[in-house]
Amino acid sequence: MTTSNTGNQQEALGNAIEKTTRIVSYFLLTVLAVTFLLPLYWMFTGSFKLQAVTMAVPPEFFPLQPTLDNWTRLFTGTWPIWRWVANSVAVSLLTVLLVLAISSLTGYGFGKKKFPGSNVLFIILLSTMFLPNQVILIPLFLLVRFFHLTSTTLGTYFAMAMPLISSPFGIFLVKQFCSSIPDELLDAARIDGASEWDVYSKIMLPLLKPALAALAIFTFNQSWNYFMWHMVIATDKFQYTIPVGVSIISRTPAFGKMITDIGLTMAGGSLGAFFMIVFFIAFQQYFIRGITFGAVKG
Amino acid sequence: MTHIRTLTQEIRKGWSGYLFIAPGYFAFIVFMLVPILFAISLSFYKASFDISARQFVGFSQYTQLMDDPVFIQALVNTIEYTFVIVPATVIISLIIALLIDPLGPRNQAFFRGAFYIPGVAGGVVLSVVYLWIFNPTYGILNYLLGLVGIDPVMWLASPPYSFVAVCIVVLTFTIGQPIILLLAGLAGIPQDILDAATVDGANSLQKVIYIRLPLLRPVLLFVLATQTIQVFQLWEVIYMVTGGGPFNTSTSMVFLIFQTAFINGNYGKASAIGVILMLIILLFTFIQLRLWKTSDI
Repeated sequence: MTTSNTGNQQEALGNAIEKTTRIVSYFLLTVLAVTFLLPLYWMFTGSFKLQAVTMAVPPEFFPLQPTLDNWTRLFTGTWPIWRWVANSVAVSLLTVLLVLAISSLTGYGFGKKKFPGSNVLFIILLSTMFLPNQVILIPLFLLVRFFHLTSTTLGTYFAMAMPLISSPFGIFLVKQFCSSIPDELLDAARIDGASEWDVYSKIMLPLLKPALAALAIFTFNQSWNYFMWHMVIATDKFQYTIPVGVSIISRTPAFGKMITDIGLTMAGGSLGAFFMIVFFIAFQQYFIRGITFGAVKG
Repeated sequence: MTHIRTLTQEIRKGWSGYLFIAPGYFAFIVFMLVPILFAISLSFYKASFDISARQFVGFSQYTQLMDDPVFIQALVNTIEYTFVIVPATVIISLIIALLIDPLGPRNQAFFRGAFYIPGVAGGVVLSVVYLWIFNPTYGILNYLLGLVGIDPVMWLASPPYSFVAVCIVVLTFTIGQPIILLLAGLAGIPQDILDAATVDGANSLQKVIYIRLPLLRPVLLFVLATQTIQVFQLWEVIYMVTGGGPFNTSTSMVFLIFQTAFINGNYGKASAIGVILMLIILLFTFIQLRLWKTSDI
């Protein structure tokens, strides 16, 4: 009788503790999440504030007289904002396409083919994976300048994609993924008379889909925010990508004074962030798979 | 006879292998390997806008860098950024991951996403908001600090604060990735080990210290490695928020590479800085790999 009683009491106490810890952890998490999202909130609400309001002390935590003025000026002003969005999308898509083609072919070659020298070739490739990307930007910049690649739109897009396309990470990822696919499957197809290209395109590619999807999403985001390179090779405002454009807006004095047009900058920043955030929410699973791939088993 | 047949088969199989890697390997050679080698060779030349007029100078650019106060400052700052940002990122993301882990799948996904969103928005976008937030007269940060009685801080114009400001901006968008990695690691810890510990009377804190952290070791090392490499390459926030100033107190190696190469057009010197950074990262990766091997995973 007494034992079951203390048992019940302990259980009740345990439940109470569990409940409290749960409430406390929800509270802590919410506070932390709000803190980390505050800059984005501030940017978004700031895009609906007049310049005088953006510089007001005390600041308005919520725009009391919201205005569309910044957004109208962003879309109808001198900056070719939609061109920047189009450039960002085009460059990121081109990068994704090239990375997928190169990574799947090369990764499959290294993962499923045995040929003399494959180990050495792969190790050379892998050894560049952790190198700082900035090191190659100077030679590539000279290359772009030498061939006048930025004189045409397509050339500019290709030049912007250039440093990311031979992705050692992508090749490594596909190779790892290939090794989880049994050889018997491929051999069976060969016995049935499939050519080597068929084995790759009809059997391997469909199986690689989850890995390639994760790689595509990862690369898209990486290319979208590949700011230094885009800024270095863009020669006029029609070649900017969205991050370059936003940085230029934030550095351009406005209203005939030496001050930044805060509202316009926040509108531009919100637009730039908007696309990537929507993209992330739509493809969250792939983002997470891309990040955890290789680092965590299972 | 059969021996020769298998050999020819090997070669035939091998040929398709070469064909499959050929396009990608060609791109790798043209856009990665040759540029790396070219950058290394460029570091031994005095090279400016007219690259064909470059002059071989041996190691002199390296020796000059050792006496260059701006370079030394950039090197020291980069190491300091790493020692501040990386531990802060790991500790904060570990706490957040431990808080998220017990939640249900829907709430897990929600919070995981919430912390990752600043990262996808990107460093440039966050930097332009932070420029406004850090403004000494009408920035919200000084206003909030004023509410708790702290005097206004010249965030971007006075030495220790500009460094702190860069760290704050970077922290905002680097914690998302470790949280995702650590959550995946935590989910991989078998529940029965934790249950056994509960039966033995271990409390939550003890379970974290004695079971979860040791089992998370490989993931923590991976997070440590990727974050360190990322912070070593820190530059866009510096470019956007402080411009390296005041008096180079917040500059970094990559920001210095950017300035030296693409603003001053001194490609040789910038390449030399790049090679030094490359060597530091290589050394670091090597140490990481050794640590990895001793972690028994």
